[in-house]
Amino acid sequence: MSTPAQIWRDHKKLNSYLNKVGELIVWTKIFVAPTGFEHQTPYLVGIVDFGDQKMPLQIVDCSEEDLKVNQKVKIVIRKIGKAKAEDIIEYGLKAKPI
Amino acid sequence: MKIKVLGTGLTKFGELWNKDLLDLALEASIDAINDSRLTINKIDAVFVGNMIHSKLTNQDQLGALVASSLGIKGASFRIEGACASGGLAVHLAIQSLLSGTYKNVLVVGAEKMTDANVSDISSALMGAGSEAERKAGLTFPALYALMAKAHMAKYGTTRKHLALVSVKNHYHASMNEKAQFPFEVTMEKVLESPIISSPFTLFDASPISDGAGALVLSSESTGEGVFITGSAVATDTVDLSSRKSLLEIAATKEASQQALKQAGVEISDIKVAEVHDCFTIAEILAMEDLGFCKKGMGGEFVRKGYTRLGGKIPVNTSGGLKACGHPVAATGVKQIIEVTHQLQKRAGKRQVNGANIGLTHNVGGSGATVVVHILQT
Repeated sequence: MSTPAQIWRDHKKLNSYLNKVGELIVWTKIFVAPTGFEHQTPYLVGIVDFGDQKMPLQIVDCSEEDLKVNQKVKIVIRKIGKAKAEDIIEYGLKAKPI
Repeated sequence: MKIKVLGTGLTKFGELWNKDLLDLALEASIDAINDSRLTINKIDAVFVGNMIHSKLTNQDQLGALVASSLGIKGASFRIEGACASGGLAVHLAIQSLLSGTYKNVLVVGAEKMTDANVSDISSALMGAGSEAERKAGLTFPALYALMAKAHMAKYGTTRKHLALVSVKNHYHASMNEKAQFPFEVTMEKVLESPIISSPFTLFDASPISDGAGALVLSSESTGEGVFITGSAVATDTVDLSSRKSLLEIAATKEASQQALKQAGVEISDIKVAEVHDCFTIAEILAMEDLGFCKKGMGGEFVRKGYTRLGGKIPVNTSGGLKACGHPVAATGVKQIIEVTHQLQKRAGKRQVNGANIGLTHNVGGSGATVVVHILQT
């Protein structure tokens, strides 16, 4: 996972993305996760089109059945991965359907 | 361009518990040097392709490690470009020969992956993705799954089209004793195996493998033999979502067009090809982007049997990444070895009749690096 300095740098940028609305263009449900994400499986990750840019984001607060192509989603801030007891908790961007 | 393939060496691919990275690299290298009939003192430089060894262990400086272990005192390099590390090493070795600096060089692609657990390997491989992809919890199967879902939605490619790539490549691997999985699988087996990232099951994915391949290349271009006549690399964004389209790997188009032009041949002249089927959709995309069939028709092209041994363009006669195995940096070198053996009529039961021009296609990441080579007799 990220170091404290990386987290400090990245957290300063999160503000500008909050509540941005975009359209989900494609998604997958992940069953085999990388280190730090194992506890979340299965989880949804998609590519969201915001018009000026596209981003890969976890899709949260929904089940796969709720999703459709061009689904409107907005950016929220959530915990990223699982921090160990002595680590800084890392926050980052995810998307939820609206 | 006319670079002679003087010698080839390839280890078994698989879970090779009793061999470490250096064992594998040396075994392939010694076989390649013996096959070339050159003495060690004729090798001017060593190019070692490797992606993740320094992440999984603490060993760096692999160029010097391999070269010095062979008793080679000339120049040595380690080259990294994710799963295209092997192809990139071949490309750079060729450039060094074309520059006239060296006359004979050794190229090694080697990877030792099975010492680590699956989560750690998935994380290490995601070094080839973007920061945003890592924070989203994406994996390489998931990135290619996104491309597969986009292709299915746009062109009607089906779950069965994907599975057919796996069935075909296992059939080819059943004739390759070096393959990690030298046996056939049924369509049912592919469809019913556990889902790793929808729509992919385990059998849509290339495995975690150990293995190494090596080549001796020479600027000496006289006499009979197999020659590399085209070698090109193209680059795109590391981040998948930043690309213009999810329906193609644009760098494949760019690299293949350049390599074909260098060789002075058309895609329709290719008689055998090794393409980068890290996941089943990747082979379907490769068929389209290399120009073997029209965009969107890759699934049907596979279904009709054109890419099976005996078809009009046999693809991945080695078994591909799926069934021969995918020790990441070894793959790009293994592809050149397989096509060389086809052109030398040394491919045994999986020999493609009349193979005189072949192509290799090696991809790094989700398509950020693509290396294409053309080989001819």
